[in-house]
Amino acid sequence: MRLHLDNFTKCFDGTPVIEGLNLTVEDGEMLALLGPSGCGKSTTLLSICGIYRADGGRILFGDRDVSALPSQRRNVGVVFQNYALYPHLTVEENIAFPLTVQKKRTDKAEVARQVREIAELIHIEALLSRRPAQLSGGQQQRVALARALVRKPDVLLLDEPLANLDAKLRLEMRSEIRRLQLETGITAILVTHDQVEAMSMCDRVAIMDKGEILQIDSPTEMYRAPANRFVAGFLGNPPITFLDGQTAQEGRFAMAEGLTLPLPAHLRNMPAGRPIALGLRPEHFGHGGAGQASGRVTFVEPQGREMLFDVQAAPGVTLRSIQPTRDDVAIGDEVTWSIDADRMLAFDADGRRL
Amino acid sequence: MSSFADPTLEGARSSRPSRARRAPVSRLGLILMAPAMLLLTLFFFLPVALTGVFAFTDLSTSTGIGRGDYVVTPNLLRELGDRGMSSADLEAVSRASVTVDAETIERARAAGVDGRFLDDIEGDFLGRSFDAPSDFERDLRRLRTAPRRARDLKSAAALFETSVLNQRFTTSDGLSAKLETLAPEVTPAARAQIVDASYTGARFTTENFERLATQKETARLVANTFLYVGATLSLFNVGLGLFLAVVLFYTPKGMSSLFSTLWLLPRITPVVLYAVMWKWFTWEGGFLPILAEQVGLPSFNYMKGSVVTAWATMITLNGFIGASFGLILFSGALRAIPVQQLWASEVDGASRWQQVRRIILPQMRWPILFVTAYQTLSLLSSYEQIWLTTNGGPGRTTTVWALEAFKTALSNYTGNLEYGMGAAMALVLVVVGLVLSLIYLRLFKFNELVGRPKIEI
Repeated sequence: MRLHLDNFTKCFDGTPVIEGLNLTVEDGEMLALLGPSGCGKSTTLLSICGIYRADGGRILFGDRDVSALPSQRRNVGVVFQNYALYPHLTVEENIAFPLTVQKKRTDKAEVARQVREIAELIHIEALLSRRPAQLSGGQQQRVALARALVRKPDVLLLDEPLANLDAKLRLEMRSEIRRLQLETGITAILVTHDQVEAMSMCDRVAIMDKGEILQIDSPTEMYRAPANRFVAGFLGNPPITFLDGQTAQEGRFAMAEGLTLPLPAHLRNMPAGRPIALGLRPEHFGHGGAGQASGRVTFVEPQGREMLFDVQAAPGVTLRSIQPTRDDVAIGDEVTWSIDADRMLAFDADGRRL
Repeated sequence: MSSFADPTLEGARSSRPSRARRAPVSRLGLILMAPAMLLLTLFFFLPVALTGVFAFTDLSTSTGIGRGDYVVTPNLLRELGDRGMSSADLEAVSRASVTVDAETIERARAAGVDGRFLDDIEGDFLGRSFDAPSDFERDLRRLRTAPRRARDLKSAAALFETSVLNQRFTTSDGLSAKLETLAPEVTPAARAQIVDASYTGARFTTENFERLATQKETARLVANTFLYVGATLSLFNVGLGLFLAVVLFYTPKGMSSLFSTLWLLPRITPVVLYAVMWKWFTWEGGFLPILAEQVGLPSFNYMKGSVVTAWATMITLNGFIGASFGLILFSGALRAIPVQQLWASEVDGASRWQQVRRIILPQMRWPILFVTAYQTLSLLSSYEQIWLTTNGGPGRTTTVWALEAFKTALSNYTGNLEYGMGAAMALVLVVVGLVLSLIYLRLFKFNELVGRPKIEI
């Protein structure tokens, strides 16, 4: 079901934290709300499920305006960060809970059938008689998912669902949640501060900061063409390096610290003396291209398949490069590596991408 | 911190790091514990032990708490007769005989009998004794110095009579020897029985418990105590406490803390003041009876006027004190439920009532059990509010076990305070309390409660 936030506003103690937010999640789409802590993404999610009441604007599930409805009547499934399982109920009772509190009584056999069906979908049919305290984090996560999905909600909301899991389980649950979302075709919103989760699980990513959505795009597009400096800085691991300087003669870029680079092709004919910032991703340094930079290697971080190098190209200017693991470069070595100037990102003084 | 608490261990580690040592008992710890242990001994172990001892005595006001004497009284003889001692033996013991010896002459002299008459008596009869006082009087009349008036003679003769009756002996041997000389025909077994029964001090006995087990009053006391503890606990300490906690849980914060404080008032009000306020509230001319009169309901002294209202008053006034305890404990437990669980249940479609009944209450099991356990014990032993208000009345209808024990031992109209009996009743309470505590500990699975949580995150 299509979810639409129309001019949504939320205040706490009279201070607006989110003002006039517009967002549309298409039917069957999974969208990530990505942003740093305190950017308003969880507030948005809790407002969609009705825990918080919107202070302005409308929340639409399809054509149904749910803004005034209590959460009981919104028909949403929510997975909370700490799973919020009911500790005194068995897994089966936990999953059945949304069915058994409904006004129209579902008969016991039907409840059991639906619980079993969802448990099989989520691969927890063996755990049904246990209690939450007897489950691992990943299992609790699955139970929470099952409970959220059993009622066949219009929208599935996931609030940092992977934050409490260890790295390996996180990887596993990432694909598991995505598989379930695709299989059930449910419209879903994932709230996360982890760009990898957002990019790997979702059709589109909405980046939020200070209560505003800065950009909504597919993960690849957003990575390739971030709308502004914040988005470019937030996406990418290891992060992008920003170089603040000015345009110079002959389509070059110069920094006060002394480093000069060719401008990206589409900016070559900019007049000189304009303050701009270039964004250089680590994978574009040392992998061919028109520009080059040399400097001393100040730090090497082996990551197994790849290695991360910090190169001091000028006093106070450190460029970062990620390369397949090599053992011919060590800390202190002088290197000269190429820069793919055409794939560098350029931002104007206000942070907008040029 | 560890070096502060345990300097010896630190020293041992630095000098001999290879040798693992069991942590020795910290001396500082013992010193810090000592005052508590002293107080515990003085005000808990000792009283409990003394209660245990007194419970097996017939200590009372009449026995006194010191050593008793051996006294044979007419009452005692009558009692012994009731218990089946032969009347011949009793006759012999109560018999008075006349002896003339230095002691009786001295007694007569002190009583102001004529000195010449006494000298004559001494000369003629010293060392003799007479079975019947009449024989002695007849012999005395023959003396020249005998008083003219028959009454004077009779009273003088009476001074030579000795009887074991109403004489105090400090040892059992003294009484026994006296009995042997006065009533030699009484068998040693019967004599021993008399001597034993004549002891006026406290003695060890299991009679208190026999009485408790057999008297009809006990059943009433037990029933009253059950009613009092059960009703106060279920209606107020748990029922009202839980209700208030849940209501305040959903109340905005400022309001809820105001109301919690209000509910604390009965507990922090001095108990005497609290009792007096309840008297103003329920006595004739008090708030409730006047209000009742205005609306045409029966108006009388609700605290003491009828059994039903007395019980209602007593349970309510005790319950208001206990409710705050439950309220605070339950509120804390409610706040410990993660808010996401409540959110989840709302999102799952549970109404407020379903949320309370199916999510909150099941998780309040331990707090409820705890309050029940703790308050059962404190209600069992509390009597002061009842004492200060209904005082167990009307009649003895609201008298509970603890109050009866208190009254028996320490405060009653007749003035004969039966310390032994009271101690026996208190001991029963202590035992019941201990047994209940053990049951509760089992019920709580105490070891599991203090064990490590199983949840991994």
